[in-house]
Amino acid sequence: MLRLLKPNAIILHKTRPQVGQEIQACIGCNECILACPAVAEPITIDMLNRETISGPISEPVARFARACYQCGACVSPCPVGLHRDAMMLWLKVRLLSMVEEE
Amino acid sequence: MKRMNDKKGYPWFFLDMGRPLTRTWTTTLLICMLAIISFIIYNRVGTDLSPDSPAGYTYAIVGTIFMLLATFGYTRIRRTRQRKIGQLNNSLNWHICFGTAAIVILLIHSFGNFNPRSGTYALYGMIALVISGFIGRIIDRLVPRQITKEVRKALTEQGDDRIENISRNVQDIVAYNTQNLRAFKTDAAPGPAGLPQTRLVASNPTSLGGSTLPSSWDIAYLTLDETPQEVSRNNQQYRFVPDRKSSLARPGALVPGYNQQIEELQLVQHALQREQYYRALIRYWRIFHVLLVLTTIGLTIWHLVYAGQLLLPVLFHH
Repeated sequence: MLRLLKPNAIILHKTRPQVGQEIQACIGCNECILACPAVAEPITIDMLNRETISGPISEPVARFARACYQCGACVSPCPVGLHRDAMMLWLKVRLLSMVEEE
Repeated sequence: MKRMNDKKGYPWFFLDMGRPLTRTWTTTLLICMLAIISFIIYNRVGTDLSPDSPAGYTYAIVGTIFMLLATFGYTRIRRTRQRKIGQLNNSLNWHICFGTAAIVILLIHSFGNFNPRSGTYALYGMIALVISGFIGRIIDRLVPRQITKEVRKALTEQGDDRIENISRNVQDIVAYNTQNLRAFKTDAAPGPAGLPQTRLVASNPTSLGGSTLPSSWDIAYLTLDETPQEVSRNNQQYRFVPDRKSSLARPGALVPGYNQQIEELQLVQHALQREQYYRALIRYWRIFHVLLVLTTIGLTIWHLVYAGQLLLPVLFHH
């Protein structure tokens, strides 16, 4: 129970090149998605990685990005120490940019 | 006006009503409706409208079961190693469902009896817990969008670090202007007609013997030059302002925009501070919610012990 009281470390956002590097380093083990309390429908990690960095964003990924509340639960299970929350934030920035472009 | 699209983009208010969410909310409504209807019926039929009536105990037991399900169901799934994608989200939905049902049933269990006893404190704890949960959900919905807005300010269109960009611009401005200032030469314009051009001649103090004296030969010597302590070069009035006719006054000789870049830098720094604050708000609200859980569990145990002390002698007596 006491572990619940320990907050996850606050890490500020990452730039697009850094996000790109992290996505390249992702081994696709799905641990981050399994640990995520925001993901409500089956999403493959390949799809998420591909759509995070560039290109069109599909509806399930957009829904997941909107639902992500940056709790950081995805960071600690990653076996290669990546920051999925920072990647999701970049996806959110892309979504927000899409709104303002319209 | 910017259009907010529900399908695309990132609107302020969005509700992705998937099947799991619909199922849990329908269940919550059904449980609450059942509890309220049974309360209305019991209110008309029953005579003993108190928390320690048989109906009161039933509500207490059912409410406590829902409370325990809400507390430990989600924690159990969180700790399970073998889980499917989306299972945690589903479990979170059930956590909200059971929490809401528990507060409704426990409110009915009180029968409007809010005497300052252990049960009332446990109920207040439960109310605070549920309210904090709902506020937490609102924070989880709205604050991440705010974080995204702040991050957009801190990044360029291409997603690079804006602070780095600004620093590079400032360096370029400073380097260019410094170079131009060093290359600056006074125009050898002739003085007014008939007047000799004034020239500053450096004083050359010499001794009677003709040798040069050091500037501080006398301990009472005071330099008339401005010392760095007297003039702050950063003060606006001491900044170099080229003459109108000077070559530095022509357009492009000194690159403007230093102040704008610094202002932009401050905006980005504020955005970063706000990002950090919003992230902390999300994390620490969760801790506050967990602390309320612990408090409510403690108050409920106190209430159960109190109720047990009243009940057990009666049961053993019969």
